[in-house]
Amino acid sequence: MSAVHSTLRSTRSLAISGLAVVLLAGCASFSQDGGFNSVATTARERLKKEVMWSRSDADQDTIAQRVAELLSKPLSVDAAVQLALLNNRGLQAAFADLAISESDLVQAGRLPNPRFAMLRGSQSGPDGREYSIEQAITFNLFSLVTMPQVSAIERRRFEQTQRMVSLEMLRLASETRKTYYTALAAEQSVRYALQVRRAAEASAELARRMAQVGNFNKLQQAREQGFYADAALGSARAEQASVASREQLTRLLGLWGQQAQFTLPERLPDLPQAPNELPNVEQMAMTQRLDVQAIRLQTEALANNLGLTKTTRFINVLEFGPTRMLEGKADAGYKKGYEVSFELPLFDWGTAKVAKAEALYMQSLNIAAQTAINARSEVREAYQGYRSSYDIARHYRDEIMPIKNRISEENQLRYNGMLIGVFDLLADARAQVASVNSTIEALRDFWIAEADLEMALIGKPKLNPPTRSMAASNAD
Amino acid sequence: MQSRRHFLRGAGTLTAAVAAATVSKVAMAALPEPVSQASPNTMPPLLPRTGRPYNPVVTLNGWTLPWRMNNGVKEFHLVAEPVEREMAPGFKAHLWGYNGQSPGPTIEVVEGDRVRVFVTNRLPEHTSVHWHGQRLPNGMDGVSGLTQKSIQPGKTYVYEFVARRPGTFMYHPHADEMTQMAMGMMGFWVTHPKTRHPLIEEVDRDFCFLLNAYDIDPGSYTPKIMTMLDFNLWSWNSRIFPGIDTLNVRQNDKVRIRVGNLTMTNHPIHLHGHEFTVTGTDGGPTPTGSRWPEVTADIGVGQMRQIEFLADEEGDWAIHCHKSHHTMNAMGHEVPTMIGVDHRGIAKQITQLVPDYMVMGERGMADMGEMEMPIPDNTARMMTGQGPFGGVEMGGMFSVLKVRKNQKPGDYKDPGWFKHPQGTVAFEYNGALAKPARFQSKGGQTMPRAQPDSPPVEVKVRKPVGHADH
Repeated sequence: MSAVHSTLRSTRSLAISGLAVVLLAGCASFSQDGGFNSVATTARERLKKEVMWSRSDADQDTIAQRVAELLSKPLSVDAAVQLALLNNRGLQAAFADLAISESDLVQAGRLPNPRFAMLRGSQSGPDGREYSIEQAITFNLFSLVTMPQVSAIERRRFEQTQRMVSLEMLRLASETRKTYYTALAAEQSVRYALQVRRAAEASAELARRMAQVGNFNKLQQAREQGFYADAALGSARAEQASVASREQLTRLLGLWGQQAQFTLPERLPDLPQAPNELPNVEQMAMTQRLDVQAIRLQTEALANNLGLTKTTRFINVLEFGPTRMLEGKADAGYKKGYEVSFELPLFDWGTAKVAKAEALYMQSLNIAAQTAINARSEVREAYQGYRSSYDIARHYRDEIMPIKNRISEENQLRYNGMLIGVFDLLADARAQVASVNSTIEALRDFWIAEADLEMALIGKPKLNPPTRSMAASNAD
Repeated sequence: MQSRRHFLRGAGTLTAAVAAATVSKVAMAALPEPVSQASPNTMPPLLPRTGRPYNPVVTLNGWTLPWRMNNGVKEFHLVAEPVEREMAPGFKAHLWGYNGQSPGPTIEVVEGDRVRVFVTNRLPEHTSVHWHGQRLPNGMDGVSGLTQKSIQPGKTYVYEFVARRPGTFMYHPHADEMTQMAMGMMGFWVTHPKTRHPLIEEVDRDFCFLLNAYDIDPGSYTPKIMTMLDFNLWSWNSRIFPGIDTLNVRQNDKVRIRVGNLTMTNHPIHLHGHEFTVTGTDGGPTPTGSRWPEVTADIGVGQMRQIEFLADEEGDWAIHCHKSHHTMNAMGHEVPTMIGVDHRGIAKQITQLVPDYMVMGERGMADMGEMEMPIPDNTARMMTGQGPFGGVEMGGMFSVLKVRKNQKPGDYKDPGWFKHPQGTVAFEYNGALAKPARFQSKGGQTMPRAQPDSPPVEVKVRKPVGHADH
């Protein structure tokens, strides 16, 4: 709540300060969209989603309406991503960076204000009062020289901000996608865990009744009771995992109150017929990834900075302006002239500044190189993860589940023939459910890997190291 | 379903086997042609056309091996080979046997016959044949390693000896015996007396079968040869009820039944409606003074018994092993007893996870016979077989002796179910039931208890209320 309010407040105050700048500047060149168009374009092209920058009550109403609409039915993954893009307040806060950055850009394009200086001295002299008055209006000439370069730098920084905001948005989309699948799978697992629990409950109750009429001893009864205790624990754990992942999704979607009661579909989407073949996945990443583009721009900006620093190393300030002065009596009349002030590079030759700029540039070069290396590696890893998780999920669907089903069918036949008892049948059902759970997890992991791959192609992904799930190891 | 006997005529049913590729044709030319049997049905007695005459036996769900006379020697040809044995209609086992079947064909000779048996090995491992109970030269006894070299795959060995004493015998391998017996390698041998023997009576019908046991997992085909005692199929001549043929006789026939036990436990074979005497063992005919009337003869492991009786009571009389698990087919020995357990509420809960679940065993195991639910492939139902009055609820070592007035001599055909004369079948009593008088005395205590009794377990027996809950 308070976070939301403070975000609102900061947005509003920023808007006000932006307005002030515009009024003062008069000839201000603030853009219509505040740099948001490029973000919206990215959302449209890369995500097939829309984003809105809530800058007024009307915007907020529109967003609220869209949110309500999206929440009216079980959330698909696309709906969840759309919801997050519209409703996540962290993203709205990131949009404010655009305004801040643009302000800097506009500022850089402004002439500095002229400076007016005045000196007044007086003294009672023999001829009455004597004055010394100097009036000078000076203007920083150097800023005129540097203005195009500074503007260029600020423009790049503004573009970079746009990219960073876009990346932030993509990251949110990816995170939402992954959390969505996790939450959905967790809900599915809870339903299965409850089934196991019910079966275990039935066997415990049956064992109790068997002991009651003398067909089971205490050991046999305790064993069945033990299964029930384990199953109850399993369903509690599943419940816990489900709540955690759902809350994480709720946060990403920016929902609270009644809205947090959103519903998810019954089951994960089916595995696609075939995985996507992406032979030149690295090249795609190099051309598409926003973080690679951003670091490139940053490096270029730093190169320009370096050049600027080199040319201006000796000059700190160069000021020029008309001056008039009066000396002596007040009616002695003003002498007119101009004033140039100039700082002598006597102690500071600017070498430190140049060295720093050079170091920054070199650092940026290396960061850019590392970013490219990482990007290639990340996209390879993401693609491999995607392919292998597809194979695993398909193996579960086409091999493991049919075998488990066949085992269950055969066990049913054996039960029919009184070759095994009801407890064997229930034990098999429990084993069966564990593999159903693993199948759900494998499918979930595939969809998460797919989200990771999509992210890796357009920005830095948050790859998870492959982990063997609990249920999978239990099923073995 | 009761399987029907199909009586086919004599040697026509015997199909010539294809000579195995592993045995040289030149070598085979000197041998009697090996004869193979494809059908598991009971074959009519093989009347001797050559050699000394005798009164032949009928092998239950089996047959007798034909022979040839060669310069006064009776020559047989046994082929040890893998076979597929139908143990009951719809249930087949992959066994090892002789000449197409397991057990192998019965060998019938007459006391004093010179017998030459060619044994060809078409098994994947070496074998030998031991002639259980015979008097013979030591080198013909068939114990591989001890009295002879084992017969390697593809090889043919010759055993030759004189059938010195009349009686009931068996043959089986004495090489990797554990495997080969568990796989069904065994057969019957009957030596008929040359002339009238004071201790061997002439009979009208002479049946024989071997007791054997297998452990075949439901849905599989091959016996588990490592099983020592916990077998799940108890068979006569590798057939299980209702796959076993009935023993059909004429009223007042003198009947002999020869039984040999090649399982790993004893079998008390019990006949209903008649008393019999044990007239012989694998040691020979028993002295008349040692014979006593019985209705059950316990046949020990590795033993043979000849029982004889006068079939003077008309009807369908059960003959079975009295170990009650031996009259069952494959069942789960670990299945918990469900009798008296209240399933209310639970069955529904279980069906949520196991949709096809049905409560069974709550009232007893007879449910099994009543319900015809799908069971694993190639598995005989545990208790089945329909009689004229309903389910017989039997399996394994169980058959029926059918005594009929109008069964013709020499006719072994199944006469169908017995038609009981009026008033000779148990009937339902419809009168009032008096309250039973219970014995009231507590009786004396032999020894005082150190510990007080624990609270009694509640006994719940479902009273018969029909089976509406199925």
